[in-house]
Amino acid sequence: MAVLTSSSPSPPSMAQDLLNSLPKTLKLKTKQQELLIRVTTLGLIYILAFITRLFSVLRYESMIHEFDPYFNYRTTLYLTENGFSEFWNWFDSESWYPLGRIIGGTLYPGLMLTAAALYKILHFLRFAVHIREVCVLTAPFFASNTTIVAYFFGKEIWDSGAGIVAAALIAICPGYISRSVAGSYDNEGVAIFALVLTFYLFVKAVNTGSLSWSLASAFGYFYMVSAWGGYVFIINLVPLYVLVLLVTGRYSLRLYVAYNCMYVLGMLLAMQIRFVGFQHVQSGEHMASMGVFFLLQVFFFLDWVRHLLGDAKKFQAFLRITVTAAVSVGAIALGVGMASGYISPWTGRFYSLLDPTYAKDHIPIIASVSEHQPTAWSSFMFDFHILLFLFPAGLYFCFKRLSDATIFIVMYGLTSMYFAGVMVRLILVATPAVCLISAIAVSATVKNLTRVVRAKSQTIQSGSGKGSSASKGSSKGVVDNSQPFQKNGAIVLLLGAFYMLSRYAIHCTWVTSEAYSSPSIVLAARGAHGQRVIFDDYREAYFWLRQNTPPDAKVMSWWDYGYQITAMGNRTVIVDNNTWNNTHIATVGRAMSSYEDEAYDIMRSLDVDYVLVVFGGVTGYSSDDINKFLWMVRIGGGVFPVIKEPDYLVNGEYRVDKGAAPKMLNCLMYKLSYYRFGELTTEYGKPPGFDRARGVEIGNKDIKLEYLEEAFTTQNWIVRIYKVKPPKNRW
Amino acid sequence: MAKLIFVVLLTLIPILCTSFSPEKPSDRRILVLLDDFAVKSSHSLFFKSLQSRGFDLEFKLADDPKIALQRYGQYLYDALVLFCPTIERFGGSIDAAAVLDFVDSGHDLIVGADNNASDLIREIATECGVDFDEDSAAMVVDHSGYAVSSTEGDHTLIASDDFIKSDVILGSKKIEAPVLFQGIGHSLNPSNSLVLKVLSASPTAFSANPKSKLTSPPSLIGSSISLVSVIQARNNARILISGSLSMFSNRFFRSDVQKAGSPTKHDKSGNEQFFTELSKWVLHERGHLKAVNVQHHKVGETNEPSIYRINDDLEYSVEIYEWSGTTWEPYVADDVQIQFYMMSPYVLKTLSNDSKGRYFTSFKVPDVYGVFQFKIEYERLGYTSLSLSKQIPVRPFRHNEYERFIPAAYPYYGAAFSMMAGFFVFSAVHLYNK
Amino acid sequence: MTVSSTSKDARDLFGALWSAYSATPTNLKIIDQYVAFAVFTAVIQVVYMALVGTFPFNSFLSGVLSCVGTAVLAVCLRIQVNKENKEFKDIAPERAFADFVLCNVVLHLVIINFLG
Repeated sequence: MAVLTSSSPSPPSMAQDLLNSLPKTLKLKTKQQELLIRVTTLGLIYILAFITRLFSVLRYESMIHEFDPYFNYRTTLYLTENGFSEFWNWFDSESWYPLGRIIGGTLYPGLMLTAAALYKILHFLRFAVHIREVCVLTAPFFASNTTIVAYFFGKEIWDSGAGIVAAALIAICPGYISRSVAGSYDNEGVAIFALVLTFYLFVKAVNTGSLSWSLASAFGYFYMVSAWGGYVFIINLVPLYVLVLLVTGRYSLRLYVAYNCMYVLGMLLAMQIRFVGFQHVQSGEHMASMGVFFLLQVFFFLDWVRHLLGDAKKFQAFLRITVTAAVSVGAIALGVGMASGYISPWTGRFYSLLDPTYAKDHIPIIASVSEHQPTAWSSFMFDFHILLFLFPAGLYFCFKRLSDATIFIVMYGLTSMYFAGVMVRLILVATPAVCLISAIAVSATVKNLTRVVRAKSQTIQSGSGKGSSASKGSSKGVVDNSQPFQKNGAIVLLLGAFYMLSRYAIHCTWVTSEAYSSPSIVLAARGAHGQRVIFDDYREAYFWLRQNTPPDAKVMSWWDYGYQITAMGNRTVIVDNNTWNNTHIATVGRAMSSYEDEAYDIMRSLDVDYVLVVFGGVTGYSSDDINKFLWMVRIGGGVFPVIKEPDYLVNGEYRVDKGAAPKMLNCLMYKLSYYRFGELTTEYGKPPGFDRARGVEIGNKDIKLEYLEEAFTTQNWIVRIYKVKPPKNRW
Repeated sequence: MAKLIFVVLLTLIPILCTSFSPEKPSDRRILVLLDDFAVKSSHSLFFKSLQSRGFDLEFKLADDPKIALQRYGQYLYDALVLFCPTIERFGGSIDAAAVLDFVDSGHDLIVGADNNASDLIREIATECGVDFDEDSAAMVVDHSGYAVSSTEGDHTLIASDDFIKSDVILGSKKIEAPVLFQGIGHSLNPSNSLVLKVLSASPTAFSANPKSKLTSPPSLIGSSISLVSVIQARNNARILISGSLSMFSNRFFRSDVQKAGSPTKHDKSGNEQFFTELSKWVLHERGHLKAVNVQHHKVGETNEPSIYRINDDLEYSVEIYEWSGTTWEPYVADDVQIQFYMMSPYVLKTLSNDSKGRYFTSFKVPDVYGVFQFKIEYERLGYTSLSLSKQIPVRPFRHNEYERFIPAAYPYYGAAFSMMAGFFVFSAVHLYNK
Repeated sequence: MTVSSTSKDARDLFGALWSAYSATPTNLKIIDQYVAFAVFTAVIQVVYMALVGTFPFNSFLSGVLSCVGTAVLAVCLRIQVNKENKEFKDIAPERAFADFVLCNVVLHLVIINFLG
């Protein structure tokens, strides 16, 4: 794999060697040769992008990963079974009991429709695949498609060499692989494809000024809107780009055509998605694009008038009248809109993008999600590797050759890097930009270096006439003022570049196989003798629920597991990963952090039959409910002030051992997690009740449950299910 | 048919007592545990009244090693009578927990205690929310409400007429004569909401050892002392606890009674009527309701939908019957209410009835979607509590169920279509002009 | 004084504008009238919305956006077929018109879907 990728970024030089060895009869014209090489390389990259994402299937099995993908899978299943109309109007009574959730109106249907369409096509072609397989492989398939788009994008902004390098880089970039391995059936999987496609088509439209490209980018935008909430990035970046072009005096009619057509049609199309609805004209997040739209009209109109008048002085007078009128009208409209609440203020997630500390202070439910945390430097390094250093170099090349397209990619790169720094998950958005800009750096450098190398060799083997005539003219200049060791230096640098690229390939492969291919629903660990140990407790528990509880049983758990319980356990849940109702989640948080009797009243009021907790004390699995517990307290306390975080802490410290706060030791979550744990010896040489996830002996070993009873505990105790007892018979 | 109803009954009200089978209502087996077989004859009137109503009584000594409540997981009896106040340990495999399990699985229990009640009997009573006076020698003494007798005693023989006011529990016929009581008093655990005083002591009564001098204020005084109490458990098992075993005896049944300070002397005490009626209630011959045949559907339809839409009009009906001892009679009341409930009742309506047991109403589904429940929580003194809930989701409008052509929007339609027309005209002109 | 001079300026200005505009080719003038018609319809709808309220908001939006879309697309077409714009030399007027028709078809299909 490493060989494949490192070979791909060097098409021109490799092409030469390869073709020289071909028999004379197969000789093609230079252009055809290049095309053949390019197509072959792209084909290989396409395949590579797909197969490098199959580690998870090989390591584990073909299954859906993580949390959200289970919801997507469930809805896709529903879509294929009941058809589009039912799906569009689906009211799901199995989640958010008793509120229910209008699935059709609260999701981005792009992913499900894509998978269902693929499924239909495959069945039409008589491939009797299961829908799960389609879902598992959707993300890798779209990652492959992304490489193709990246190629064309790179070609559009730089040249075809940069395109190929970009395709190769993005095919294996860990930042993208993290969200698109097989089984990671999430919106991002198709959304990044849509994002890059939209940007590519838009840049193409700006470059050509053609309505049809603009229409195509509007469709790309529509697909993006249907697939992921990240479309907000597009609808803000594109106007920003237009604005920058206006300010820097690069305004052109091509830009006018591209933006207006894309905006109007894209907005109209986006309004067809029920979840997005009228947001394009109502929410503050979308106002920038509308403002730029009007600005462009004004700009165009003024430009036109100036053109008509052909006289600067008259135009000045005209400008004075119109601008004063336009500005005042615009300001009044915006003010009225904001004041009347017609234009909604920005949402919390958007604020947290602009101010990274906003969520921590105001919205615990956003801050509690690990992927909404600010990014650490190490994860940048982990996800980008050498691209992180190539990125500035690429920016340098872009600035050196400024055009509408390079300005776009520079802005995309810079803004997305900022957002990636604010939120971990947005590294994903930055990845294509980083790959493209790095590809420009790689391509430009390698091209310059090979030019130096070949300039000399050309003088030796003169008359061969095979070298590219385009480089001939420029290479002369290089040769003339060359220094003595330039050729050797160039070769060394070239080798260095290949070494770095191969390191990148190795790193990517390693990261993919080790870090990003874990399904997180099945856990793997190394046993004492180095063998792999598989913990399949989640599925064990969900299947237990499916088979041993009444079909209308309601299961209460922390919201992380909601999607999985409904998808795999087929039981009603109180809250799930679609965190739309903070109060409901806070109620569950309050139940978990209350004493058992208070929690019992809450659970009775919600008709809870079973309580599910995730516990890692036996296996040392650290992302369990006890470690998430403080978030439950915070979210619960945010709505119900009776829950106070300091009650669960000792001197600001979170403990579960003997020194823990008394409320902590007796709250429902603690009791359910550690029930009967005090009898268990988890590790040799440690006292019974030793919690391996936190490395302490627990503080309350004698836990009695009055209102609940243990119903099921999985093999490794990771999932524990409790039954809520009916009220006492005689009291 | 009866079997079918029973199945419906079971599915609808799972917590309805299982002992009470309408299939064989007259063939119910009762285990009577005695301290002494003498009780069988000394209390024969009470037992006879049970037998005459069709109950099959089986008398055993409480310490008989062969007694068992269940075999192979099946209960052998439908009711248990504990006339063994002094027993410290039951024979066989029975203990207090077994007796309570018997109740918790829906069977009835009659406990006759006495002033020397054993810890075992006390434990059973405590678990049912009844606390006997801790001093086992204590008796209820009433210096003004005692029964006048030929020998001036220690006023522990009490004539009480402070009954619970419920026709369901004590029958519609008024009990004229006071009821004689001689035994230990008990108080009700305030945290237990199910236990009821059927016969209370008068305000002048207190609980103390009549043989010793009163040194400290008695722990139980006045009308908080209960003489006879009943509990209807959540699964509708019924329990009767009396502080006096002799109340059930032939002697008390036959005795004449005159309450101190009262001029009337009754030839016969109220005990027989009191216990006959009360045992009818305890053994489910009265006040037992069942709700069957819950139906709901949209107005104008008959089939039950699996989901409603907001603002649907629906009809709901349920049939409620009462067991008369021999047949199911329509239950007629005007206070049965239905809730359409999601976290809180969105609709609360009193059901109308047709006097044939059928209760019905119709209402509009609120403009809120979610998982609702049709809930009937009918709890009336003495009657079995009916708790029906049926889950039904309510969905919002489908995308094609909204109003399609809104008059206010006609200008917009016009504009949109004029644009389309304009497009065609323009295209034609543009092409022609070229 | 200033008022009268401003109004005179404006009159001059618009006179100059009008004379300059008269020189535009006929096919562009047709497009301009089409655009003016669309913008006028849009303004009427906004005024109507301000009077009766936003209730069928999707109808309002589709009505207005169909006008705005039509106008914008027509302006784009105008830019592309205008021979003075050198940027668009490689786009033939026929190609431009074909693109325009395609965009309009999409626009109106979406509008119909959104109207009800």
